[in-house]
Amino acid sequence: MIKFTNVSLIYPNSQQTVIEDLTFTVAEGELVLVMGATGIGKSSLLRLINGLVPHHTGGILAGDISVNGISTQSVKPGGLAHLIGIVGQNPINGFVTDTVEEELAFGMETLNLAPDVMRKRVEEVLDLLSLAPLRNRSIATLSGGEQQRVAIGSALVMHPKVLVLDEPTSALDPIAAEEVLSILHRLVHDLGLTVIVSEHKLERVIQFADRVIHIQGDGQTNIGTPETIFASSELAPPIIHLARAMHVEEVPLSVRQMRRLTEPLRKHLGEFPSIIEQSLEKSHVVVKLEHASIAYGEKQAIRDISLSICAGEIVAVMGRNGAGKSSLLRSIVGATEPTSGVATILGRNPFSLRGRERTAIAGFIPQEPGDLLYGQSVGEECSQADKDNDVKDGETFALLQSLVPGISVVTHPRDLSEGQRLSLALSVVLSAQPQVLVLDEPTRGLDYAAKTALIRILKELALEQNKVVIIATHDVELVAELASRVVFIAEGEIVADGSTTDVLLSSPAFAPQVAKVMSPSPWLTVSDVVLAMRNSS
Amino acid sequence: MHKSLHPLVWWIWSGSLATAVAMTSSIPLALGVVGASGFVVKVKAENTPWSKSFAWSLKVGLWVVGIRIMTGVLIGVPIPGRTLFSLPIIPLPDWMAGIRIGGPVTIERLSSTAHDGIMIAAIIALLGAAASLSSPHRLLRSMPVMVYEFGVTIVIATSILPQFVASIGRIKTAQRLRGHESKGLLSWRRIALPLFEESLSRSLDLAAAMDSRGYGYTRKRSRYRKDRWTSRDYILCAIAIASFIRPELLILIVALSPLLVAP
Repeated sequence: MIKFTNVSLIYPNSQQTVIEDLTFTVAEGELVLVMGATGIGKSSLLRLINGLVPHHTGGILAGDISVNGISTQSVKPGGLAHLIGIVGQNPINGFVTDTVEEELAFGMETLNLAPDVMRKRVEEVLDLLSLAPLRNRSIATLSGGEQQRVAIGSALVMHPKVLVLDEPTSALDPIAAEEVLSILHRLVHDLGLTVIVSEHKLERVIQFADRVIHIQGDGQTNIGTPETIFASSELAPPIIHLARAMHVEEVPLSVRQMRRLTEPLRKHLGEFPSIIEQSLEKSHVVVKLEHASIAYGEKQAIRDISLSICAGEIVAVMGRNGAGKSSLLRSIVGATEPTSGVATILGRNPFSLRGRERTAIAGFIPQEPGDLLYGQSVGEECSQADKDNDVKDGETFALLQSLVPGISVVTHPRDLSEGQRLSLALSVVLSAQPQVLVLDEPTRGLDYAAKTALIRILKELALEQNKVVIIATHDVELVAELASRVVFIAEGEIVADGSTTDVLLSSPAFAPQVAKVMSPSPWLTVSDVVLAMRNSS
Repeated sequence: MHKSLHPLVWWIWSGSLATAVAMTSSIPLALGVVGASGFVVKVKAENTPWSKSFAWSLKVGLWVVGIRIMTGVLIGVPIPGRTLFSLPIIPLPDWMAGIRIGGPVTIERLSSTAHDGIMIAAIIALLGAAASLSSPHRLLRSMPVMVYEFGVTIVIATSILPQFVASIGRIKTAQRLRGHESKGLLSWRRIALPLFEESLSRSLDLAAAMDSRGYGYTRKRSRYRKDRWTSRDYILCAIAIASFIRPELLILIVALSPLLVAP
């Protein structure tokens, strides 16, 4: 169906080839996963398939790509619209119309299909993706998962043979992600669609993949079945690392498979009493909310939340998209004043904090870390932060170097990868040495390496410097590794608040992979299991 | 649910109001029309990202009035009348004869520049009202394929502007939390840079998405459940254009007519 022959790609003004001499074929009805570190060229590879690269972005392409026998060199992306459906990283940016139904029809209109054909296909897709209740809704009001489904739907109405998705679940909560993936699974199995998907959160997708393309950088690529790729790849989801730690011979791709493979060992480990983490001694309260509510017009974002957070805690705020996580964080850092109730931070009203006083108390990393940055270069950004926070010249940059080594001072912040940009924003905020650090979904585009670095930094802050870290995220694996406490909110109310182990284990959807495998033993991460194994022998 | 008015109708409505305002050149009427269209926006605008365009166009209008008065007072042809106060005259080289900076400021000069400024502001506000009331995306869909290239420009421009407004708020908050108060010119640079970056990448995404969905690939294009012109649309257009006959009498009725025709 898709055929790459000796494909190499280089962007203008760049020294490095993104892809070098790549040859592979994808058969009809395959689901292929593209993985690799951030900024390494996954999106480029996906966009090569329908010719967006290089027709739309520029760049020099060598070799030949053909889809269903049509070479992308001779045809523009528009000419492949009936053959290839493509869903971008942020579907909201690609929507042209404002209601669901019109959006579904848009592509067919451009192909000049007859009105009755369009009507029929729209109805089919509405049913296929369970979008019928949303048909008249304005797209701006949909949740992330719903938007993703609409984007998939508007590709499917064209009856494409190939569907290409760029990180379809990275912005979604685990439940919405599962929904989207099960739809993809069904499309491959029932309709024989060929699906190419890139994803960072490998734990969500590997069990569905028929083959994996691993882009390793420097133009190197590895292609194979998930079993062969994950037999050696460093880039792997927790389940693979767990299998390696437990010396499992096979490469397990799903929780079920892993449980079968490890049954005797799990039984053996389960006999030993698990070491329950000593809960930290409660030190002084830093952040306190009393009956705080925020309403935007009619809509109650959070209602009557009471919460105290002590120094040295790492609190993860979890919940579905739109549950009120961001509003809770905003009231803690003082971006929004609660409409009723009180929020205090070190006894002060966070909403009234200004300037240097504010940065010394509360640091905030927004969902788009770029919002904080306006310098023309990394160096300018860092020296501005030095000046703002009255620290020695070069201190912020030194901090950045310790987080991610090797960023040049002259780089423009825009040219950084997601992880690097996050680190820059972090160093700018941390150079003021805030007592409380709040992060709103920092891991959207982060790969495992960047996530590990982030975890190391945040743990050091909380455990060694006794600061408070509050993080809103969908990433259960991150929470399992990082947080000491989880606050789970739904509909603006706290529905669970307790130690990470208690909260994550009690919810099947939000349990991390390791916990699902090791259940009923209360271990969340690979290192927990390793520790248990060491104690048992 | 009532089908909303055709998006083009809103632009015809606000365009004719703006023309009528310019024709009458009367300040009270201009203010009245802006007030009435503001009321229409309040009643009819849905909660969309671009529904705040009207409020923003009012702000832009105020700036225009301010700048117009400033330049009018400083530079310009002296209009005889009662002198309010005098500014020192700045000497200019000979080749700039006919231009004067400073000099006596008369009530007449002040009022004429204020008048101009308010008229321009009113016209901007009326166009802002149309932007608040109609979806730019639906507007593009009703464009003929012939003006495709133009249509793409329109959709990108119109979808960036309202999203701009939403992004500004977000970036401002983030900057405030970084300890920068948003005051003065410097803060505009702080907001503008992330803003342009985001808008640029957003519009590139949109263009890529439209491209890969075949937009503009063929000249022919069919319509899915086309936005049909209903009798209400025609009536509203007729009323709007009728305002040219006796603008000073009809203009307020025209401004409020969307509420009467499509309640």
